[in-house]
Amino acid sequence: MDQHKRNILAVAVVTALSLGAAGCSGGGTGANGGPGKGGANPATGNLGKVVGGAPAKGGTLTVLSNQDFTHLDPARNWVMGDMDFGTRLLYRTLLTYKAEPGAKGGELSPDLAEDLGTSSNGAKTWTFRLKKGLKYEDGSPVTAQDVKYNVERSFSPDLPGGPDYAARYLAGAEGYQGPAGGKHLDSVKTPDDHTIVFELRKPFAEFPYATVLPTFAPVPKSQDKGPQYDNRPFSSGPYKIESYARDKQLVLVRNPHWDPKTDGVRKAYPDRIVVTMGLKGNQIDDRLITGSGADASAVSWVNLRPESTPKVLTKPDVRARLLAESTNCTEMLQMHTGRAPFDDVKVRQAVQYALDRQSVLTASGGPALNEPATALMPGSLFEGGKQPDTLKIPPTGDVDKAKQLLKEAGKPGGFSTSITVSTGDKAVAEAVQQSLGRAGIKVTIETVDPSAFYDTIGDTKNRTDLTYTGWCPDYPSGSTFLPFVFDGRYIKEKGNSGNHSLFRDEPTMKRMDEIAAMTDAAAANKAWQELDGQILAKAPTAPVVVERKPLLVGPNVAGAFGHTSFGGQIDYATIGLKDPSKSGS
Amino acid sequence: MILYLGRRLLGMLGVLLAVAAITFLIFYVLPSDPAAAACGKSCSTERLEAIRAHMGLDQPLWRQFGDFVTGIFTGRTFGSGPYALDCSFPCLGYSYENAQPVWDLLVDRLPVSASLAVGAALIWLALGLGAGVTAALRKDTLTDRALMVGAVAAASLPVYFTSVMLIYGLIRVAGLLPYPQYVPFGSDPLSWASNLLLPWLALAILYAAMYARQSRSSMIESMAEPYIRTARAKGLPRRTVVVKHGLRAAMTPILTIFGMDLGGLLAGAVITESIFGLPGVGRLFYGALTTGDQPVILGVTLLAATFIVVANLCVDLLYAVVDPRVRY
Amino acid sequence: MTTVSASPDRAKERAEAGPAGGGSPWRLALAELRRRPSALAALAVVALFALIAVAAPLLSRLGGWRPDQFDASAVDPYLGGLPIGPLGGVSAEHWLGVEPVTGRDLFARVVHGAQVSLLIAFAATAIVVVAGVAAGVAAGYFGGRTDTVLSRLMDLTMSFPSLIFMIAMMSVARDVNRILLMVLVIGLFGWPGIARIVRGQTLSLKHREYVDAARVSGASDWRILTREVLPGVAGPVIAYTTLIVPGMIATEAALSYLGVGVRPPTPSWGQMIAESVAFYDTDPMYFVVPSVCLFLTVLAFTLLGDALRDVFDPRGGRS
Repeated sequence: MDQHKRNILAVAVVTALSLGAAGCSGGGTGANGGPGKGGANPATGNLGKVVGGAPAKGGTLTVLSNQDFTHLDPARNWVMGDMDFGTRLLYRTLLTYKAEPGAKGGELSPDLAEDLGTSSNGAKTWTFRLKKGLKYEDGSPVTAQDVKYNVERSFSPDLPGGPDYAARYLAGAEGYQGPAGGKHLDSVKTPDDHTIVFELRKPFAEFPYATVLPTFAPVPKSQDKGPQYDNRPFSSGPYKIESYARDKQLVLVRNPHWDPKTDGVRKAYPDRIVVTMGLKGNQIDDRLITGSGADASAVSWVNLRPESTPKVLTKPDVRARLLAESTNCTEMLQMHTGRAPFDDVKVRQAVQYALDRQSVLTASGGPALNEPATALMPGSLFEGGKQPDTLKIPPTGDVDKAKQLLKEAGKPGGFSTSITVSTGDKAVAEAVQQSLGRAGIKVTIETVDPSAFYDTIGDTKNRTDLTYTGWCPDYPSGSTFLPFVFDGRYIKEKGNSGNHSLFRDEPTMKRMDEIAAMTDAAAANKAWQELDGQILAKAPTAPVVVERKPLLVGPNVAGAFGHTSFGGQIDYATIGLKDPSKSGS
Repeated sequence: MILYLGRRLLGMLGVLLAVAAITFLIFYVLPSDPAAAACGKSCSTERLEAIRAHMGLDQPLWRQFGDFVTGIFTGRTFGSGPYALDCSFPCLGYSYENAQPVWDLLVDRLPVSASLAVGAALIWLALGLGAGVTAALRKDTLTDRALMVGAVAAASLPVYFTSVMLIYGLIRVAGLLPYPQYVPFGSDPLSWASNLLLPWLALAILYAAMYARQSRSSMIESMAEPYIRTARAKGLPRRTVVVKHGLRAAMTPILTIFGMDLGGLLAGAVITESIFGLPGVGRLFYGALTTGDQPVILGVTLLAATFIVVANLCVDLLYAVVDPRVRY
Repeated sequence: MTTVSASPDRAKERAEAGPAGGGSPWRLALAELRRRPSALAALAVVALFALIAVAAPLLSRLGGWRPDQFDASAVDPYLGGLPIGPLGGVSAEHWLGVEPVTGRDLFARVVHGAQVSLLIAFAATAIVVVAGVAAGVAAGYFGGRTDTVLSRLMDLTMSFPSLIFMIAMMSVARDVNRILLMVLVIGLFGWPGIARIVRGQTLSLKHREYVDAARVSGASDWRILTREVLPGVAGPVIAYTTLIVPGMIATEAALSYLGVGVRPPTPSWGQMIAESVAFYDTDPMYFVVPSVCLFLTVLAFTLLGDALRDVFDPRGGRS
């Protein structure tokens, strides 16, 4: 799951609420003994806490990874962990998230901007004023024009892959092809070097959350090298790139021109940050479990491998170095409701009943690292931080009920279908295959590399009936979840995202519009929660799990916590070392 | 001799062109669309077309192949305007994934694969020939039996099994070696060697076993030749007979295999590199394959084919040196 | 690149030298096998695994588990799905323990894995032998342009980085039978080795007196090929065939190891080893079981091949 791109701004907020729930759901299933036995989840002891205490300045922090970054070019960076790494270390954005564990990580903080922005014209015009004294790595000043330039770059067909919020909301952006041809966006204005104004095509009260995205980082025109900027982004943050051998090693050193006085979020403790890529996942785990030598000052970039969990959870000293923040994303088995046999609600319900969530849970790391999902939106969007269980399907499924539903749907013998999953989810797919097979639904598995996954399932004509993917809310509001996943008006024939069940249901869409128009936030939230249950009953998807992001840190690492807004990835703004002299070099 | 060389070189070019054409063809029917992959999560149709044009994927197949082949010799330019990418001789195109020239990527990764291959080759030649010749000279003794049983067993072990056992034994239990992580020879020869020792061993054990078996039978065969008997009868020292006459003749078949093995390995030992996380050409290839990075796939395939073809040529030329009977 | 390329050539080197000799090659082979305990043991192992492969469905029914059947009660979800109990969950119910995470029965999987792995290896070998013998005989017997074309084709095929190409082709193809595809892809790169040997043999047989005699007596090319030439090349071909089987098994395993082999939930030894490598220290049994099967089979074929080669190649090996 670690390589999943998320179709989202960033997972904002919350999860502190789901912490309490974790213990309960863990205890319920820990019947097999092991560390889960007393009811307390062995993996979540560090939730909401900072591991390793306060860091000291200096030393070399090593990041061990199995892969290269997808994109570090701020116009193209739209993968959860990569956005964390880029915006916390290399470039600053108009706003950013606070560097705090737990729910506070979902709160906004000014970054390049002086404040959280001011809106006018009914939230259709947004103005940000830049701080004074902001500099790039060569000492030249950061200007509002540079922010505008990068927003424009994100439209360039030569620089694909980045967030499309600018394209979605800026006025007059249709057909714009980026600044390379000499054309510019009139809806982004820079009256002076320190002021930037965005004209939106419709009111968007939550626009400040969008300006956290790397799209809103500055890129000076003189440094832009098109697609090759990806290999050497120009720094406005606390570190700059010393060397970057793609898929091998990235070395960051301090940017002497970054002024901590202008930055209320980043602490920049280590002198150097070295990312070593292309390592084997279980070798990363073994190195961090041992944690000797330079590995003591290392952290993992990728999720703990499931096979390594016994080596971690059974040792209290190692367990104390495990971060397991919730990704706050609901993973779902999504059915193509647009064609047979899944256009029949009975068939879809049969899948919900046949599914053995317990075995999928085991396949994605066990109850210590996941919670079974019983609703569509993650628990953070419900009362008490816990998902309701409206369908009351047993965790291992109800095969008889599923067979019954299939019979009612006129498919007593079951049928054949296929599922597309990202390579990392092969074990999950096998669990789905096995559990649906119990009811006579024969599933063929197609695995796709993570880099091509969304492209493959976004092709609505040629994709498989089933797919396994999730959604994460951008900030604590049902409006950032249900409309993205279940509004049929957003379905695209190619490059479809979010609504992977291709769910097109008139009453649902009507209700969504009604809730969106509500002025009372509390009433709206309540309405979203009710709608969640109504959609679930129509079974466009079968919610499966809400995952955590298990990351090991070395014994000399301090100030580490999984950031709730970056999908549980370590917050690189505040991480450091206990004793920098022990980190070598 | 010159004529022979010229003919061989021409043949090599033909083979490489055929390899390139076939690789091109296979990946043209590839179901995944690199333009769509690059386009990302929310991709409009116009944007997709623009990207496709930028990558040159809107051209007919023969045209793309023609551009590729001429580009190798004359260089070419991708795209236009301020973002145009200049690709000079020898141009193998740009990676779709990270916009780096394929040639640069290969040059960057080759030292890793070469370090792995050459180091392992030295070990397996020493071990394999040593064991093989020893066994041949002590034919039907206990030494011979023991060596050959060991060789046939080691040759049956898959490289990933050996690798895991070595990691477990030498790193986890004994703590003798670090987890392999490539260090360039130039920056620290000692840690270059200590980091590569494990992969070398993993690879060398398999090949050493096969070379031991091969060299033993070659050696037995050559020692039975009449001229060896003549040499012995002349009263030459045993050492001279074995090394100068026996081993030299026995080398011919081993050289053939060695050329092919080394040629293949130079372009990346996919499995070994992936087990040990070494950033060599093999891992570059594997990564490119999973992401559908066609220019890189094509580049690595061509590189590998080149190595194999060149290695075969070298072996044929070396025959003349090793085996006095061969003349061109 | 690592395990694959070498063995056929090695086999070629040895078998190339072997003159055909008269009499039935099978009888010679049997006599030789009887003389060697190691070869007999190897033959027994090969026969055993072949039997297991054929009887896989029966055996797994005997064990009580289907190869794709999960057993959630056999693994501990809190420990990353580690099998419960000693030796990777060995019990009266699961004779060889279970696969971590899924709890699938290892005995059922390794037995069905044998079926898949050996099927692929044998079928690919069959393709290689049939294509190689046909091409070799044609090139050697007809000579001229046929020989030139076929020899160039052999050179070209041998210049391909075969493992790289196999991986590429396997990953490109989607909606096809994986097992069939694997057989074809492995077979595609294997035939030139045997073709060269057969070509050489055919060339030397072509001008023997008895072949000339047949030709003079007016026999057709087809009759000469089937009656005189083919029996003449049979010996080296048998030896070579046995020696390339381990290479084929290893290739299947390598492809499955790299994740381009069979598709889940189909087990094969290579697929099982690939999945189990990560568990080598937390659940060694899972890793050891398929590895030992692979090792024994490859070893047995190699020993058997050695013995057969000695029969048809009296100069090397033993004297």
